[in-house]
Amino acid sequence: MKSVDEHWQALVTTALLGTDRREPPEAPQLIADLVADTARTSASERMLAQVAATTAVRRAGVVPGPPLDELAIPDGDDRRPCVPAAVDRWHHITVSWPVLEDEWMLTLVTAGWRIAPELLPAMLVRYRSDPVRRTRVMVGAGSTGRWLVGHLPDLAARHPNATVTPEALAELPELPIAPELAQLVNWPGAESGGVLAQSLEDGTLGHPHRAMLINLVARVRADALLDIAEILDAVDSISAGYGLATVLGDLATTRHRMLDELSTSSAG
Amino acid sequence: MHAGLTELDRWLDDRIRIGLADPSLARYATWDDLAARLVDAQAGSLANRIRRLAGLVGASPGWHDDVLAELGLLHLLSQAGRHIGSLPGPLADAVATSVGWQVKQADVLAGVPDTDHWIVAGRSDVREDRIEVRRHWLRGSSSGRWALCLSFAAYQQSLDTSLRVGTSLHADIHRYPGPALRSLVGSRYALPVEPVSPPSHTIAEGCDEVGAMLVTEPWLDRLPVTIRARLAKSGGVWALADATGSLPVLDAGTRQFDVGLAMLLAVSEGREVDLTVEWTPLGVVPLSIHLPDRTVDIGPRANASFVSAA
Repeated sequence: MKSVDEHWQALVTTALLGTDRREPPEAPQLIADLVADTARTSASERMLAQVAATTAVRRAGVVPGPPLDELAIPDGDDRRPCVPAAVDRWHHITVSWPVLEDEWMLTLVTAGWRIAPELLPAMLVRYRSDPVRRTRVMVGAGSTGRWLVGHLPDLAARHPNATVTPEALAELPELPIAPELAQLVNWPGAESGGVLAQSLEDGTLGHPHRAMLINLVARVRADALLDIAEILDAVDSISAGYGLATVLGDLATTRHRMLDELSTSSAG
Repeated sequence: MHAGLTELDRWLDDRIRIGLADPSLARYATWDDLAARLVDAQAGSLANRIRRLAGLVGASPGWHDDVLAELGLLHLLSQAGRHIGSLPGPLADAVATSVGWQVKQADVLAGVPDTDHWIVAGRSDVREDRIEVRRHWLRGSSSGRWALCLSFAAYQQSLDTSLRVGTSLHADIHRYPGPALRSLVGSRYALPVEPVSPPSHTIAEGCDEVGAMLVTEPWLDRLPVTIRARLAKSGGVWALADATGSLPVLDAGTRQFDVGLAMLLAVSEGREVDLTVEWTPLGVVPLSIHLPDRTVDIGPRANASFVSAA
């Protein structure tokens, strides 16, 4: 007696040729019982009824394929994966504040975190052509990163033989900041924030300086960020610099939260 | 609608008579003309199936199997639709919805609610023609029943972002007529809580659950199930596996880089994890990984350049 699967293969063969050239196969009892109540005169009608019934039976009887061998698992890594808030933050900064990407990664590695595994594919794809950032990802990913790339060649580096110096790996890239602003990098937040707010309100600083100001906030000392965000948030809403102050305040807040989420104390 | 179903059956009959090897099958007009006529006949859901079916032609070495099975289900639906008056009530409703009968949202929301703590178990975005379709799969904590919430977005429109995968929502669900999975969220009684996971099955148990849903409506082409499984490879193709068997992952190995599969591999590191997947006749689509402290949403995501909130 034919099984349902054997009958299905016979139906596929007939369907390829068409019932003008080949009669439908004889159905096994299970299928014949399902289509017996139909009065169908033509071969194509009988064939369609069999195809419908056999498809319904095969789908409802969905069964697993054979068990498969386990994959070898990667070596262990004692570091804890970064917290979900840091995962969300990385997605946020890649869209809104890419100037913070290097600091996110360096802080993570320095604080002893491991990159959360769900971030790895996106990071490996994003930095495929950037040897420095990609190497940092592989450091932060540990054995899981190498294991993953071994299984998914699409994640391999575009320039696997590129040389990366330890200095380039360990340092934040230098960002261009005008000399008159550069001194603010090391000032306490209350002072640097005050200068920025005043300059934005009176128009001394404005949109032509936007890129430089973003670089400044991305490099001011970490303990100044909250004060800067608070002061920029209080800039007069009718002043011309209000919009830019809001943008810079958001950057300061984002960077503060990013560093907090990746701090050593969060790593426990 | 009856005229459209009669025409569909005549068209199916021609395909079976001429054979699937006929070159006309590869011409888009063969499918598009029929889809347009089905839209005119108020059978929009069948028109969508026809368009999806056109995409299967030549798509894989076994495309004849896939196309023939879908032709069979279209025949089943057209026959059921033409005899809808003689079907039992719930089945008639299910057929009507699957054929394209439109139901007003207000009528659905006026129905009896199914109140539960609904776990948002998975999400998937699929482009269908010029519309992005987002599916959220919800599972009732008490009832164990699944529900499907759909949202749609044309170019630059927004998809529903109110349901977050891995949260539980105490709310009313209103189901479309029949034994439908498709539902609308009604009143919400509390803010979503997290993290929560639906109960998981072995792969064999998962197949049983899917089979039980397909007995009721064999034409369903996406069904949710939560299983505990690991990734494995079979002949270069990725699959989910456990001690009871395996299920192939949809399209893995043939389509472009699959971020969801890569995330599953990275998070699981080859070990068994709890997963919600979408079963399809061609393989499963991993949607979410349920970890003890969080759920990772790995379902296919709409292109952010097409929809404004993906």
